[in-house]
Amino acid sequence: MELPAPKWLVVAKNEYRVYTSRIRGIRPYFPYLAIGLLAVYVLFIAPAVIGLFIDDLLVFFLSQVAIAMVQIILFMIFVYFTIFPITNTLKDTQTELLELFLAAPIKPSDVLLGEFLGQMPFYAIAVTVIAGLFTAILAPLGLDVVQMAVIIIIFAVTFFSAQWIGTVIAALLRTRLGKTARGRDIGKALALVMALPMIALMYSMMGGSLLETLANPGTSGMVQAVLGWLPSSWGAEVIVGFASNLGNISAVGLETLTRFGGLVVFFVASLWLGLKAANRAYSLEPTTFIASRAMPDGAFYKIIRYLGGGGSFGTLLVSVFKNYGRRLENISKIAYVVGLLILMNIFLGDPEHPQYMVLEVAPLIFSVLAVFVVGEVTLRGKEGLFIYRKAPSGVGRLVKARLLHGLLVLVPITVTITAVRTILIPSATLISVLTNIGIIVLIVAANVVLALGLSLLNPAFTAKSGNFMVNVMIVPQLGFVILIISGSNWGLYVPLIWFVGIVFLYLEARKLRNIE
Amino acid sequence: MTVKAVIKSEGLSKYYGKGGEIRAVDGLDLEVYEGETFGLLGPNGSGKTTTVRLLNGIIKPTGGIATVNGFDIFIQENEVKRITGLLAESPGLYDKLSGYEFLEFMGALYDVPEEILKERIDELLKLFGLHDRRDHLIEGYSSGMKQKLLIAAALIHDPPILFLDEPTSTLDPRASHMVKELIEELADTAGKTIFMCSHLLPVVEELCDRIGIINNGRLIAVGTVKEIMAQTGTQSLEDAFIALTGGVIENELLAWRENGIASS
Repeated sequence: MELPAPKWLVVAKNEYRVYTSRIRGIRPYFPYLAIGLLAVYVLFIAPAVIGLFIDDLLVFFLSQVAIAMVQIILFMIFVYFTIFPITNTLKDTQTELLELFLAAPIKPSDVLLGEFLGQMPFYAIAVTVIAGLFTAILAPLGLDVVQMAVIIIIFAVTFFSAQWIGTVIAALLRTRLGKTARGRDIGKALALVMALPMIALMYSMMGGSLLETLANPGTSGMVQAVLGWLPSSWGAEVIVGFASNLGNISAVGLETLTRFGGLVVFFVASLWLGLKAANRAYSLEPTTFIASRAMPDGAFYKIIRYLGGGGSFGTLLVSVFKNYGRRLENISKIAYVVGLLILMNIFLGDPEHPQYMVLEVAPLIFSVLAVFVVGEVTLRGKEGLFIYRKAPSGVGRLVKARLLHGLLVLVPITVTITAVRTILIPSATLISVLTNIGIIVLIVAANVVLALGLSLLNPAFTAKSGNFMVNVMIVPQLGFVILIISGSNWGLYVPLIWFVGIVFLYLEARKLRNIE
Repeated sequence: MTVKAVIKSEGLSKYYGKGGEIRAVDGLDLEVYEGETFGLLGPNGSGKTTTVRLLNGIIKPTGGIATVNGFDIFIQENEVKRITGLLAESPGLYDKLSGYEFLEFMGALYDVPEEILKERIDELLKLFGLHDRRDHLIEGYSSGMKQKLLIAAALIHDPPILFLDEPTSTLDPRASHMVKELIEELADTAGKTIFMCSHLLPVVEELCDRIGIINNGRLIAVGTVKEIMAQTGTQSLEDAFIALTGGVIENELLAWRENGIASS
């Protein structure tokens, strides 16, 4: 009789099936198709694309910033490969499937290994794309076959280590956070803000400030020294070493052996430690018994109730605020957008045209924030809307409450950011600060109207819904189109965007009465 | 003839929190006999699901001992898992797999030989009326269909002992009737031992040979329905259940209106 398949292979096969469920029709041919396309990419496309910039790239690889820059690039990719499984898990932390595994005769380490291996083919595609780019750059230098092979193995070991670490952390967090609503909320909040440090690095590269900084030998030496401790860097030094010693592996023999050996030891050690941690990653033991409790209403909610005119509408508005503000996920969305704007100002701002960031970029970013804030209206499902539909004059009160909520959240944020950013402009005057604030508040208020209208016209009933992403893209794009049409003339732009917003809101109010 | 106790616990306990102040299961002494259908009843949060998880080796007990078919749940958990099937109360499903693929996966997890597995999956899918939808993704299944698929998954390795946590709660009357008949058949014809938790008293009354009532983690009554009614001096299982676990006093039911009426 045939021996049963190892359990990690059963789990890996299942994971692969889950990830390829969208392409079930071509699943049997998918590996051949992927390998074929990757071969075309590595052999033809990557060299052709790299060929366009080959001279600059070769100069770069032989320059003194090369090691530090390659270290940073590999570090970024390493972090990305680590974060990706974590954010994927945190976005939708579910522990229900754990019971299936825990009730079955399977070791937690087999489940963990299976999850890792099941996802590996997709990470392998990304590794091939990245390694293909690097080999396309280095091949014209005349690297020998052994050097090329070592470089490819370096990429594979580095990034699969990162994927493994991410998979282990994701499993631990899932068990830790997934059992309570509060934990799941924390997970969703973390998933978003975790991306900010990576975005900061990316912006610093895009803005060119990173290359300038690294041109200073002292700074690049410091970066090398710091990053040199991280396993993601060990391969970078080998790669750049090869570029300087073409076809002569013995010239960097000991160094290669040390770095490369260290990388392999790191991979094996992280694999071993991860498998040891697997028991903690798969457990249904409760993590907390402390239930979240609502505090008595403080001054903030009293002010909101007052701003809502008191009475039953004031109570309704306070309820909207509580339901919104008690989700960390919502707060993290605000932090993310504000963080993004700050990073843009730091790394991408043009000192020659400071107003550009304040009056043209910021409104577009705030329009995304508007969708995040008021788009929440449908994200908890249709049932929430039906509560309003059932109540007398419910639809009107929903629209009014959500509009007011959106304005009360967004206006203080935009006023603060606009004021601070304008004050930082050396030529700023009180008039320019007040004018900027006035224009931005009018635009943001229009965006709230527009975003609410769109969110109800094209409702997203779950955070995963594609409609939500569509709305997040449409609102700033509409703003951008109106900006172009108005020729950046605020006297024209503000009324136009208000007009579009009101039209959307009117259409939405009609649709909301008919949603089924 | 002596009846063999296939599930046996002595002082089985599961405590949580600092100093174990939360007693999810507290000193459970229980015997479930081979071939019987045993029902565990209790209010929400009384410890039913924790008991099922303990007896399936999913969580570790704080104290006491328990065996399932002679296997110690603490040190022989894999053996316990092999001989039990579990339908959990709120289990997860792989939405992106088809019904067939899911059962294939579950069969592989429980080491069902491949030559048996395909045929068994087909039989189970036919039995539960899911054969026409075998290649549809689970995300498109109704909650009743999902429940049927999970019952099929619990049966995939043909275990001698079945734990069913709320097996009929999400099913329509027709599917519920089928599942009840299946449970009867599994017990009577196939000789399975069934440990069932349910809120639906008529279902428990109809299917179970004996029942246990658990409240605040403690088993407060065990016996046949008649024995429990006799113990409590009641005329129905519902009355016995309320007598043992407590309920709202009738004259308090409309108390919330009185002040409003008085003030208006």
